[in-house]
Amino acid sequence: MERREAIKDIGTIVAGAALAASLDLAVSTEAEAKETPEVSLPGPAPDEDVIITMQRDLLKALKKPLKDRKWSMTIDLRKCIGCHACTVGCIAENKLPPGVVYRPVSEEEIGASPNVAIRFLPRPCMQCDNPPCTVVCPVKATWKREDGIVVIDYDQCIGCRYCLVACPYGARSANSGDLYTDGTPHREAYETSPTYEYGRKRVRKSHFSSPVGNAMKCHFCSHRLDAGMLPMCVTTCVGRATYFGDVRDPDSVIAKVTFKPNAWKFKEGLGTKPSVTYLL
Amino acid sequence: MKRTKGVSRRDFFKTGVFLGSGLLTTSCSPRSVEGGSYDLAKPENILYSACLQCNTGCGIKVKIIDGVASKIDGSPYNPYNLVPHLKFGTDPKIVSKIDAPLCPKGQAGIQTAYDPYRLRTVLKRAGQRGENKWKTIPFDQAISEICEGGLLFKDVPGEEKRTVTGLKGIYVLKDKDVMKEMGKAVSEIMQAKEANKKKELVAAFKIRFKDNLHALIDPDHPDLGPKNNQFVFMWGRLKGGRGDLIKRFASDALGSENAHGHTTVCQGSLYFSGKAMSEQWVFDAKDKKVKWTGGNKFYWQAELENARFVAFVGANIFDANYGPTNRMSRLMQSVSSGGLKYAIIDPRFSKGASKADRWIPVKPGEDGAFALGVIRWMIENNRINAAYLRNANKGAAKKNNEPNWTNASWLVRIDNDKPQAFLRGEEIGFPAARKQYTDKETGETTPYDYPLMVVMHGGKPAAFDPYKDDSAVEGDLFVDTVIKGVRVKSSLQIIKEEAFSKSLDEWARICGVSVDDIVYIARNLTSHGRRAVADLHRGVSQHTNGFYNVICWNTVNALIGNYDYRGGFIKASTYNYTGDKTVKVKTPAGKEEQKTEQPFNFKKMAPGKLSPFGVSVIRHGVKYEDSTLFSGYPAKRPWFPLASDIYQEIIPSIGDAYPYPAKALVLYMGSPVYALPAGHTTIEVLKDVAKLPLFITIDITVGETSLYADYIFPDLTYLERWEMQGSHPNMPFKVQPVRQPVIPPIPETAKIFGEEYPISLEAFILGVAEKLRLKGFGPDGFGKGVPFTHPDHYYLRAIANVAIEGLTDGKEVPSASDDEMRLFTECRRHLPKSVFDFDRWRKAVGDDLIKKVVYVLNRGGRFEEYEKAWDGEKVKHKYGTLINLYQEKTAKVKNSMTGKSLKGYGQYLPPFRDVTDKPIDDEKEGYDLVLITSRTILHTKSRTATNYWLNAILPENYVYIHQKDAARLDLRDGDAVKVVSKSNLDGVWDIGPYRKPMTGKLKVGQAIRPGTISFFLGYGHWAYGANDIVIDGKKLRGDKRRGQGIHANAAMRVDPVLKNTPLEDVYGGSVVFYDSRVKLVKA
Repeated sequence: MERREAIKDIGTIVAGAALAASLDLAVSTEAEAKETPEVSLPGPAPDEDVIITMQRDLLKALKKPLKDRKWSMTIDLRKCIGCHACTVGCIAENKLPPGVVYRPVSEEEIGASPNVAIRFLPRPCMQCDNPPCTVVCPVKATWKREDGIVVIDYDQCIGCRYCLVACPYGARSANSGDLYTDGTPHREAYETSPTYEYGRKRVRKSHFSSPVGNAMKCHFCSHRLDAGMLPMCVTTCVGRATYFGDVRDPDSVIAKVTFKPNAWKFKEGLGTKPSVTYLL
Repeated sequence: MKRTKGVSRRDFFKTGVFLGSGLLTTSCSPRSVEGGSYDLAKPENILYSACLQCNTGCGIKVKIIDGVASKIDGSPYNPYNLVPHLKFGTDPKIVSKIDAPLCPKGQAGIQTAYDPYRLRTVLKRAGQRGENKWKTIPFDQAISEICEGGLLFKDVPGEEKRTVTGLKGIYVLKDKDVMKEMGKAVSEIMQAKEANKKKELVAAFKIRFKDNLHALIDPDHPDLGPKNNQFVFMWGRLKGGRGDLIKRFASDALGSENAHGHTTVCQGSLYFSGKAMSEQWVFDAKDKKVKWTGGNKFYWQAELENARFVAFVGANIFDANYGPTNRMSRLMQSVSSGGLKYAIIDPRFSKGASKADRWIPVKPGEDGAFALGVIRWMIENNRINAAYLRNANKGAAKKNNEPNWTNASWLVRIDNDKPQAFLRGEEIGFPAARKQYTDKETGETTPYDYPLMVVMHGGKPAAFDPYKDDSAVEGDLFVDTVIKGVRVKSSLQIIKEEAFSKSLDEWARICGVSVDDIVYIARNLTSHGRRAVADLHRGVSQHTNGFYNVICWNTVNALIGNYDYRGGFIKASTYNYTGDKTVKVKTPAGKEEQKTEQPFNFKKMAPGKLSPFGVSVIRHGVKYEDSTLFSGYPAKRPWFPLASDIYQEIIPSIGDAYPYPAKALVLYMGSPVYALPAGHTTIEVLKDVAKLPLFITIDITVGETSLYADYIFPDLTYLERWEMQGSHPNMPFKVQPVRQPVIPPIPETAKIFGEEYPISLEAFILGVAEKLRLKGFGPDGFGKGVPFTHPDHYYLRAIANVAIEGLTDGKEVPSASDDEMRLFTECRRHLPKSVFDFDRWRKAVGDDLIKKVVYVLNRGGRFEEYEKAWDGEKVKHKYGTLINLYQEKTAKVKNSMTGKSLKGYGQYLPPFRDVTDKPIDDEKEGYDLVLITSRTILHTKSRTATNYWLNAILPENYVYIHQKDAARLDLRDGDAVKVVSKSNLDGVWDIGPYRKPMTGKLKVGQAIRPGTISFFLGYGHWAYGANDIVIDGKKLRGDKRRGQGIHANAAMRVDPVLKNTPLEDVYGGSVVFYDSRVKLVKA
């Protein structure tokens, strides 16, 4: 059955999908708990780049069971230089098609000259603790994992786009399946290079292979976390403005930078309880 | 859709039927077969190299899946990416799982390499120049035609009978001894001061070389050099290695004086003011006299990691400026911790201004006035570093533990109220010192008289040798006196008088800021010891007065005394790859000797090397008055004794045949039509087959300039080729990032000297060399029995030199372990033999060196350890010698267009001038807005429009205007506007076959100085894949995404005197980007 056809027939598959989703959770919990990636880091050194320190924090967190971790991101807007390295890094890492961006950075000019400022606001998925997007999914293809990441099961998703509408942050988009080099003399191979989202290597075989047609969103590069690596937007952040880690580890960088008087959460009033914090 | 069995129903249908069940494993559920397999972190899938999406050249880590570059990240080995960077010895297997930052362009580089519009084979023009009709021809045929010449375009209407002179007909003088002797004789002609003496020498020259006069461009003007000079090679972005090959080809082998770079379109006057300030008073072995020589074409930048206050002047730090990844990694940490604050002095509110302590919207081109205001305040308030400035020689610097010294206290002769040369000791009774020069090669000694300089010390004159380190000489800073009838002033006195020639109010008014702005900068720059610095870039240098703007600001830094200090003003440092670096060694007898320690000294591996001579087509490095063409002022076109690589002069000079016509031009990785201000003026010359008979480009696609070529050779991108990236002045660490092939080549392969190599710059050079049997190439290219028949023979040896530097002190790089050797070959399993052949690589350097080469290549270059770059409060790699606050050499130069002498110090000179120093006042005719440009981090001028990921973020640029101006002109945000100027009344690009209006969308805001408008470079293409092109009779459809937005360079002012050239800084050579007044017309 085609996924797009399936939408007409939601009722019949909901039950099965729910079962699959719960199974997936069980499987992944088990898998994560067992596998510890083989990564060794140089140091520690007192003045090392914070990227290395955070990766060390990450490796420590991966030793804990999934349910004991709480992945969080904190973005220091004072250090964001609006370079868009995170945006492009994410597109390249996840081979996102035209129109899909997991982490846009908005730029806003404020003030009157000479008292002007440009405000940069990186906008990943907030990985809400109370996500409005998951509850609307008719096939339970999206849910919040125990470690805090809101995930999508591309094989369950029917592409109905309810979640796109439900997200107050505009963090979800639909995959058109288009390629950037469509309509040029040559479709380039890098665009269909394998993707690793959610720890699964996917080779695009046709215009109908998942995640084409699916809803897509930022997942804190969970496949990189599994491999002992930080999310792409963190490692590529030129201003070192993006912090990431297990906020439940009191010794971690993320725990130390997050709870500050200048901390702010986006649209907190909606009760979404974002896992992403901004420092103003 | 149940997945519990591992395969979804849908995937089964899709794959099972068409592709066979073998592929089913790849569509299994997450935790089955490939669970946890993240191929991008596997060491065997990763190669380290250097970026070239912009010139910064950050370290990159290219992740390759199935032979395709899938992701590019920053390299943790490289100080351009990680702070501090990893230890050089770190195992690549560990590093494979560590990613470092990289800007968005760097990450989008995949799309530069895999561009659907890349050329794979040679194109020959099949229509008139610019018609964009091509035919593909075999590489060998193209090389043959170019070398032999003939009726090459007989099929093109109008060119049926046009005989093209091939390179064979230009490469006339081949005897290296004759060329050398002629060069010496010409040098004597040029040194002769009297016109009659010159005439006599020319007559004697004609008799002496009567058998070879046919080889000269003009026997009556032997200083124009041989016909070989009619071969011109010009380039845009060029790095080490490829640069050396071009020079080996164009100069050493073909004997042409005309191999010119693009420096002046970047920040030429920044480089050439650096050269002027670094000239040294030493014996010149070639001229056999003591003179000001040896100045480096370079500049200094701020060391940001340790700075406490930085004034960024005309420096677009978040978006450009060498570059965001390395500099902002350092800056933002200090800014957020409160350890550093900075100010932005720029008419445009750059992104960097958004985090600045203060934005000062200075008037375009008035940066020098601002600096002079700062200097005035510093002197008036005793905030100059007097103790440092008093050091007049090396001995004093050493005694006072300073890394360098200035000539602030040196005495300058004042004649007719004007500063001239430095006072020499002899003039007031101190005899010259006797010195001896020893030739490094031959050991031959030449005795000479060394005139001493003079300072006042406690009111008494003292003569001294600037470089003597065993006697400290300090001088009084402010001197204005008469010694034995000679009127003298100290250098700093002269600078003070310039700074005090106007009040702070006046300086502030000239540059359009408040006095408080000037005082704020001056106070902050003088409140943090040596850890405060002014960091300058294009915004200061790309004006008609750029040279002097830079000198004024460099003077501010000298008054702080921050050169060579942490958090101060520093220079770049690199590992040598040319193999000619000398080190001090002690002989067994205990004597100190200079010797080379690296295995391949390319300077000596150049059999039959020619010594080109003669005035270049851009008239650089020589004085107009010294040439036989001198015929009073103004000269036909400007001469540039203090600069080189004057990009904007090459094509118009060829057009004017001044000083002589050219017969062939090769352009590599440059696009003057697109990149130059008023670039449209070059089109007229490029289109004209009479003025430019043969035009060849080497390009990855058909760009805005290759559009006019006769032949286009495809090239390799930075992911497919070799280069030695070098460094930039903001980097305190000694580095040599190596660019190496990481993906299989896109172009087809050619066979040259019996070896295969992809068609490229190297293939072109080797191909012509084979055809013309050029010396320095072929089976004996590097010496008897040492072949240069494949590019690897050069590049692998260059890397061996990098690896071996430091051998004398046991500091060469280690050898790769067996494990690393295995990884090395495994990582390259996707590369074809034409590029990677381990055996060929091993043979090029030998069995011992290959392991050291591998060690370097496994890390993408060589990088000094983090701790090693510091020397207490100073940086380890120092400039370390005399800094000229007063430049005698400059003071002896005359402006060739006016005959007026130049001033040798930071003077105030107004911007908006033509080459004869006359003001351009287009504002009087209603051109009420100053047009400036800037760069977004998403683009690098002419060559990133192909990067769709970048394009997606900002598909179209805009013309940015202040709200006040928009209101005054009744324009609204989003309006389509056309940019027109006095030299482009229609506001169009006249491309040849058609005209493209310079129209863009207006963006209205507050983030710019009123009266100024700006646009991002990199948009509005009409070639580079943006338009249809015909190849072999078939139309290849263009991609409109590449052509969106506006490119307004054609509105930039054409010089009213030269009429075919943009405005230029006749002193420092810069082409002018920011001194054009324009109007906006609703489109």
